[in-house]
Amino acid sequence: MGVVDAVQPAVEPRDRIAVSVKDVSMVFGNVHAVRSASFDLPKGRFLTILGPSGSGKTTLLRMIAGFDRPTGGEIFINGQPVSAVPPHGRAIGMVFQKLALFPHMTAAENVAFPLKMRRHDARGIPEKVERYLDLVRLGGYGSRRINELSGGQQQRVAIARALVFEPDLLLLDEPLAALDRKLREEMQLEFRRIQKELGVTTINVTHDQREALVVSDEIIVMNGGSIQQKARPVDAYRAPSNAFVANFIGVTNFVEGRVVELAGSRATIEANGLHLAGLAADATLAGGKPCAGAVRAEQIRVAPKDGHLDGLETVVDGLVVDCIFEGERVVYEIRVPRLGGVLMRVFDHDPESHLQFGPGDAVRLGWNARDMHVFAK
Amino acid sequence: MRTPRAAYPVTWRVMDMLERLAAAVWPSSFQRGLPYLMLLPAIVLVGLLVLGLVQIGDTSLRVLDTSTFLMSEDYTLANYQRVLTENFFATVAGRSLMGSLIVTAITLLFAFPYAYLMVRTPSSALRKFLLVALFLPFFIGQVVRAYGWLIILGNQGMVNEALGLVGVPPMRLLYNYPAVLFGLVQYMLPFAVLMLAPALTAIPNELEAAAASLGAGWVRTFRYVVLPLSRPGLVGAGLVVVTLSLTDFAIPAILGGGTQDFIANAIYDQFFRTSDQGLGATLSLMLVAVGSILVGVVFMLFGAGTLAMGETRK
Repeated sequence: MGVVDAVQPAVEPRDRIAVSVKDVSMVFGNVHAVRSASFDLPKGRFLTILGPSGSGKTTLLRMIAGFDRPTGGEIFINGQPVSAVPPHGRAIGMVFQKLALFPHMTAAENVAFPLKMRRHDARGIPEKVERYLDLVRLGGYGSRRINELSGGQQQRVAIARALVFEPDLLLLDEPLAALDRKLREEMQLEFRRIQKELGVTTINVTHDQREALVVSDEIIVMNGGSIQQKARPVDAYRAPSNAFVANFIGVTNFVEGRVVELAGSRATIEANGLHLAGLAADATLAGGKPCAGAVRAEQIRVAPKDGHLDGLETVVDGLVVDCIFEGERVVYEIRVPRLGGVLMRVFDHDPESHLQFGPGDAVRLGWNARDMHVFAK
Repeated sequence: MRTPRAAYPVTWRVMDMLERLAAAVWPSSFQRGLPYLMLLPAIVLVGLLVLGLVQIGDTSLRVLDTSTFLMSEDYTLANYQRVLTENFFATVAGRSLMGSLIVTAITLLFAFPYAYLMVRTPSSALRKFLLVALFLPFFIGQVVRAYGWLIILGNQGMVNEALGLVGVPPMRLLYNYPAVLFGLVQYMLPFAVLMLAPALTAIPNELEAAAASLGAGWVRTFRYVVLPLSRPGLVGAGLVVVTLSLTDFAIPAILGGGTQDFIANAIYDQFFRTSDQGLGATLSLMLVAVGSILVGVVFMLFGAGTLAMGETRK
């Protein structure tokens, strides 16, 4: 899951910032597509903006590319405000959702297009086109027309075309969404390899949480036009800042209740008469307020009804409703009557114990207090 | 258990009955012949046209006997010789050809931005307005429209009155070549826009955004992306406009006032004024030939554009 870098300095010096988004808003009619978004992206980083459709992530990307002008706030690229700069005046390479390759040109002509438009030295163009086609492992395919290339090859042409003029910034607008899973995962690693090789600052937009975790140095989670969290993938996964992030990344079970006790980072919640200990993960928590305890599916352990779950602070009984075999793991759906009949999903990754329970079996569930993050509702 | 028949809507039961009737009249073993049977009306229509063409070919080989006003009994190429040698016909043909080419160029020039705006505008109100403005002239026949121009452009017309207000003396705006071309452009514009719009719709918006992000301003985006990709639409629209204006009758007749005859007017004169059917038929065949050659040349040079259907379209 991602690449865990050494501890990064909290504040980057100004000249290391490639993109700075300050209080940017976008209002279409009476729809607030983006609400006062702010973030800094240091040079050379791979940032993924993750969110469901309609969360404003694509609008934010289009504003950075220059296709839409923010209705509020300012975007800085290399320290310069760019709101008044048209797209062709910005040094930004973009890979579009539908790739937007020019069908009347060959692969090489597509890659040469930005060099010609940006008035690069004509003598150097063929060599440069060849080099970038090699970079995306399409050496020798230059003379093919776009419709003679496979989906994956077209992806690679689009990447080469977006990078060949050495832009300050590479933007990816969900270009992998239409690919089948295997090709998509292959291209994710390819994006990451090329980005590391060239060190180009990259902003990727996706609704695929796995892609975000795999490719990025940093993740921004958006919902309803607002930035919910900006963190490294591992931190966004381990320490989501609110219930939305916890729910959007990974498979998370929610236990609803109200806060009965707050002591430092520990929070005790009361749900359906049970007192459960958890980790206070939300600064807005207050005693007596409604809240939700979030437990990841992989943090819950299952045992037979009379079995022991030693060392786990919270243990409840449940009834298996369904078990889904997914190959490398089994997902159990377990109803917990003591928690108001909530349906919890539990992963079993142990190949030895796969399918040890079937629908209708009575089981026992347990988790550690530190694995239950308590968020305000 | 079967649902009672009455539970189905009446229309369904009517359809069932029709299908049973059809099965009785036209057994399924005949089904393979059905598509050909449905082609029959079209084949009959085209066949009649071909027969007419043969008839015209026959007539074109006979000359008019001016003493008896009867067509000669034996075949001769005299009509073709007259058409190819007499200056009058060369003038008319040149005027028609040149006119149709100029009209095509101007029409495409005007139609392109119109179609582009209609396809790309985010405002549906503007799109509807442009569409209505485009279709409105279709409801007014060509002849009525030409008479309308007579009123507007006449010596006491609106245009000359307006010019008079700013001190310009009345001038002759009618019965000359530009008036005919003007009328033809105005007549052809909707056809060209309607032929262009689907071709422009087929160009994804994203391509223009991509060109912009790759460093092309709008002029070069147009030159290197939009224009090459709209070629099928331009070819299709161009072909329609060039053939329609080459063969047009009403506008040269009315706005040209008899001084700016196109080929169609010359044919009309031969058939209905001098009654020389032989010469008229010859002129008609020459027009068909010239039009076909023109279209053939365009097909060879640019492909058939949006007029090419099916798999071969590029």
